[in-house]
Amino acid sequence: MSRSRTVLLALAVFVCTAAQSSFAIPAFARMYGTSCSTCHIDFPKLNDFGKAFKDAGFKFPKDDDSFVKIPPVMLGAPAQKEIWPKAIWPGVIPGLPPISVRYATFFQVLSKNRNNFNSPTPAIGDFIPRTDFQDGTLTLLMAGSFGSGVSYWIDDDIAAGGSGAAGGMGDAWLKFNLSNVFKLPNDALSLRVGQFELDLPWSQARTWNLSGWDIFDQPNVGTGADFVNNSFAIASGTQGVELSGGHSYGGYHYSVAVVNQNTSGTAPGPANVGSGGDGFFSDSNFKDLYGRVSYRVNLERDAESRKGIQAAGATGPHDHTYVELGAFGFYGRSVQRFDTGTAILTAREPFYRIGAHAAFNYRTFNLFGAYMYGHDKNLVLNTAGDGLASGQPVHFGGGFVEADYMALPWMMTSLRWDSVNSASDRLNGVDGAGFFSAFHSTRTRITPGVQFLIHPNIKAAFEYQIRPEQVVTDPTTGDIVTGPFRTNSAVAGLDFVF
Amino acid sequence: MNKTLVMLSAILALTASSLAGNISGKLSGVTGVSVVYVDTIAGKTFPPPEQHPVMNQKGLAMVPHILVVQAGSTVDFLNSDKVAHNVFWPSVQSGSKKGPGHNLGTWPQGDKRSFKFEQAGVASILCNVHPEMSGYLVIVPTPYFAQTDSSGAYKIDNVPDGQYTLTAWHEGSKAQSKPVAVAGDAKADFTLSK
Repeated sequence: MSRSRTVLLALAVFVCTAAQSSFAIPAFARMYGTSCSTCHIDFPKLNDFGKAFKDAGFKFPKDDDSFVKIPPVMLGAPAQKEIWPKAIWPGVIPGLPPISVRYATFFQVLSKNRNNFNSPTPAIGDFIPRTDFQDGTLTLLMAGSFGSGVSYWIDDDIAAGGSGAAGGMGDAWLKFNLSNVFKLPNDALSLRVGQFELDLPWSQARTWNLSGWDIFDQPNVGTGADFVNNSFAIASGTQGVELSGGHSYGGYHYSVAVVNQNTSGTAPGPANVGSGGDGFFSDSNFKDLYGRVSYRVNLERDAESRKGIQAAGATGPHDHTYVELGAFGFYGRSVQRFDTGTAILTAREPFYRIGAHAAFNYRTFNLFGAYMYGHDKNLVLNTAGDGLASGQPVHFGGGFVEADYMALPWMMTSLRWDSVNSASDRLNGVDGAGFFSAFHSTRTRITPGVQFLIHPNIKAAFEYQIRPEQVVTDPTTGDIVTGPFRTNSAVAGLDFVF
Repeated sequence: MNKTLVMLSAILALTASSLAGNISGKLSGVTGVSVVYVDTIAGKTFPPPEQHPVMNQKGLAMVPHILVVQAGSTVDFLNSDKVAHNVFWPSVQSGSKKGPGHNLGTWPQGDKRSFKFEQAGVASILCNVHPEMSGYLVIVPTPYFAQTDSSGAYKIDNVPDGQYTLTAWHEGSKAQSKPVAVAGDAKADFTLSK
């Protein structure tokens, strides 16, 4: 794939993710006969109870059976456990198919001078519309517990990108709670297997914002002088296994994942290998690694309240006042092919992403942010043209800070600052690759937003993405090649689940 | 002496029973439990019962869904779930008048909080953690009340003879009142509508 095509792809991903998919699970509401707000502050943003429910494998953390309103179907009496291994270990399936549906649609308005983005000469570029209805997304969600500490999740965008258009599989995994097997503290060790988003501090796939956090969607595509063409973003879904444990509502949390090597920069499988089976997702034996650790300190004075899943207040339980700190890192290799004219060389270029995150919460005010640095080794052809040598690494950095405030139980206001610094983005942007691409090394936006829960399962959301006015300059000559323009955009979204 | 006392007691009991009767009847037009009670009797007050009626929170539900108590009663709100619950009521509705609401706070399993309801009316009991939870506390001004059975029938026992206003209440319906004369047994039927 050529660099310009990769840049276009990356930008397409960026634009598409400007209207994020997000999930809440009404099947749980049906099963437990409870409202969405039992687990969600503003769906799909979880409150502390929702985090505990998730940590416990989609079950109430204590006495789950007494809350289930639709009894599960027994796949074997519990007493069958006594004669194991002479019987299959009993489990359960939901009494009703745990299917939920979500539909989301968006509308956006862009700045008046948006078309100054296009250079007037020598050719007329793409027309940027003032207003635009975005494609809707219909998603099927299935999640729950099979009993005995086995939980599952499947989400699939049935249609995304227009009428009848196919979507794709999101997450699809089984999770085994191994704490009892190894006699560890509750929820201390789980194994997740399948396709999943990495355990980011805040899920990009299930973000409550209309647009995702820029840094989590950041690829690393070098300039023409580089041989780095890594479209991997930390929010990309992947396949693999993950060990995790702890509680996200207090104390420690960790995860370690071994996942498929990302295959950007080349075709995933050699063309001369028939895929009679499942085909190939990797291009080498190497598997990428991801890890995250965090610790959250709840700050209530009262010990009972501090240790509880939710803090007890004078007028009702609420999320704890807390401080959380954490760090995460990813190590992988991206593949590049070099056609030297006489041979094709394969470079498996090591890269890493490393970041830190912090959060503070006081009742309905939540302040959080993350910083991430990305570094790709840049293997280039050696001077003889017959091998590889290390070039200047390609790197980027950036992060975000967001403040969410539930002004009312049905209205959340937010203010967010995103910034990504990438010199290669700026250089690539001059190619006219995309409206939202960076024309400065630092790409910044400020995004105020407000969301209204019309019902617990229907949400209207608005955000205004404010970006600095800019012009495109030729990096070689410094000449200005476009008029000043802004890529500000107002986005409105409406989504509902049932 | 003992025989005389027994005879006197028997006579008094017979006299009392001849001055008190029952009000019975049937509610139609609605399904589920309704409440029928004798409304305020001018010039009469009734001491509240010492026993505390209990509204329980169990399985993410208020149990019972409808609790009838006499004005002046102290109600215990118990949490039997292994999740925290809250109890509050936005108001106490009495006819077109609205009395103030109250938030009792939040407490864990096994704990309870109590509140004395002085004024008659209907309080919608809610939990601000689980908005689907709902209960009704019907605070009535006299000790003469009953809840309907599955067929809509009710019976209020030991109502002294006299002229009263009888009120029927049903969740989601407008309360209905009618005069009733009790001289021994009396009958009063209601037709409520949503």
